[in-house]
Amino acid sequence: MERRRKQIYVVAALLMSFISRIYSLSVTVNDVECVYEYVLYEGDAVSGNFVVVDHDIFWGSDHPGIDFTVTSPGDNTVHSIKGTSGDKFEFKAPRSGMYKFCFHNPYSTPETVSFYIHVGHIPSEHDLAKDEHLDPINVKIAELREALESVTAEQRYLKARDVRHRHTNESTRRRVIAYTVGEYLLLAAASTLQVMYIRRLFSKSVAYNRV
Amino acid sequence: MARNFDSRAGVTVLSLILLCLTISNNIVPVAEAIWLTIPNSGAKCVSEEIQNNVVVLADYYVLNEEHPEHQATVSVRVTSPYGNNLHHNENVTHGLFAFTTTEGGNYLACFTLDGHQEPATGVTLSLDWKTGIAAKDWDSVAKKEKIEGVELEVRKLKDHAEAIHNNLLYLKQREADMREVSEKTNGRVAWFSVMSLGVCIVVSVLQLWHLKRFFHKKKLI
Repeated sequence: MERRRKQIYVVAALLMSFISRIYSLSVTVNDVECVYEYVLYEGDAVSGNFVVVDHDIFWGSDHPGIDFTVTSPGDNTVHSIKGTSGDKFEFKAPRSGMYKFCFHNPYSTPETVSFYIHVGHIPSEHDLAKDEHLDPINVKIAELREALESVTAEQRYLKARDVRHRHTNESTRRRVIAYTVGEYLLLAAASTLQVMYIRRLFSKSVAYNRV
Repeated sequence: MARNFDSRAGVTVLSLILLCLTISNNIVPVAEAIWLTIPNSGAKCVSEEIQNNVVVLADYYVLNEEHPEHQATVSVRVTSPYGNNLHHNENVTHGLFAFTTTEGGNYLACFTLDGHQEPATGVTLSLDWKTGIAAKDWDSVAKKEKIEGVELEVRKLKDHAEAIHNNLLYLKQREADMREVSEKTNGRVAWFSVMSLGVCIVVSVLQLWHLKRFFHKKKLI
C-alpha cells in the first residue's frame, strides 16, 4: 500500500511537471487584436515572439511598427513594446491566471502578425521539497524540455522573418519587371509625342512662318 | 482511524491524478488553449504557414460564461493554401478537426458568429491548435513500444530534437530558394538598366530619322 502510494505520487508529479503549451499562429490586426492565454502556475516563464508579416510599403525602408502589450489578470501591464516590426519577449508570470496579449496597429492598413507564445513550467526547489517523491531527474528533464522549446521558439521566429523576407523579395522582383516595362513604354510614348508635336509645328494648317 | 486517513488520502491522490489526466488529455479543456474574441460582424481568421506532410490537430469551443441562456454558435471553415475546403461546420458550439498537410503554404481557419447574437462585444472562443510534434499521440506510442514514465519523457525529448533538426533543414531549403530569386533579380536589374540605355538610344535614332525624312518631304532641308 505504501509503495503503491509512492508510485501514485511519482506518476502524479510527472504528469504535473510537464505541462507546457505552445501556440504559433497569425492574425490580421486591423486596430487591436487580443489573444488570451492561461498561465497555470505563478512564476512560470512566459516567452514568445511575434513578427509583422504582411506589409506592402511603397516608399520607405522599414515598417513603422505595431505596439504589443501583455496584461496580467490583475490588469497590470506586465510587458510592453512599442513601434516594432517584430521582437521576442520573455517574462516571469507574477501570478497565475488569464493573461492578455494585445497587438495594436496605429495605422489604417491592416497587418498580419505571426506570433508564438509558450508557457513553460519547471518544478522548482519548493516543489521538490514539498513532495519528497519528486525526483531531481524530473527537474532536469523539464529543464531540458524547456531548452528544446526555446530552440523551437527561435526557429519559429526565424521562419516568420524568412516569410517576411520572401515577401519583400517577391515584391522586388515584381517591381523590377513591371517598372522596367512601364519605363520602356513611357519612353517610347514620350518620343512619339515629341515627334507628333514637331510635325504639327510644321504643318500647313498652323502658320509655319512662326517657326 | 489510521485506515480512514489512508482512504481519504487515497481519494485525494486519485482525484489529483484525475485532474492531471484531464488537463493533459484535453477532456476538460480548461487551461490549454488560447482565447480569441469573435466580433459580431465579419469573421475572425487565424492562419499558419505550414510545410508539407505535417499533422495539424485543433479543438475549439465557445465560452458562454456571461450569457448561459443565449447559446452562441459559430461556423468554422478551414481552407488549404490552394483553396480546398478541409473542414466546414455550421451552428456548433464546439468541434474538433485534424488533417495532414499535403501542400506547403498558408492554412486558414475562419470563425463567424451565427445569426444575431445578444452580446454587443462579441463571443470568446477557445482554440487549441497543435501542429507537428505537439500533435503527436504519445499514448499510442507508449502503448506500442511499451515504455512509460521517465523513458517516455526522454523519448519525447528525442523526437522533439529530431523535429527541430527537420525544421532547420526546411529553413535551409527555403533560404536557398530565396537566394536564387534574389540573385535572379540582381541580374535582371543590371540587365534591364543597360537595356533601358539601349532603348533610349534606339528611340532617339528613330526620332531623328523620322524627322529628317519629314523635313526632306517638306523641302525645308
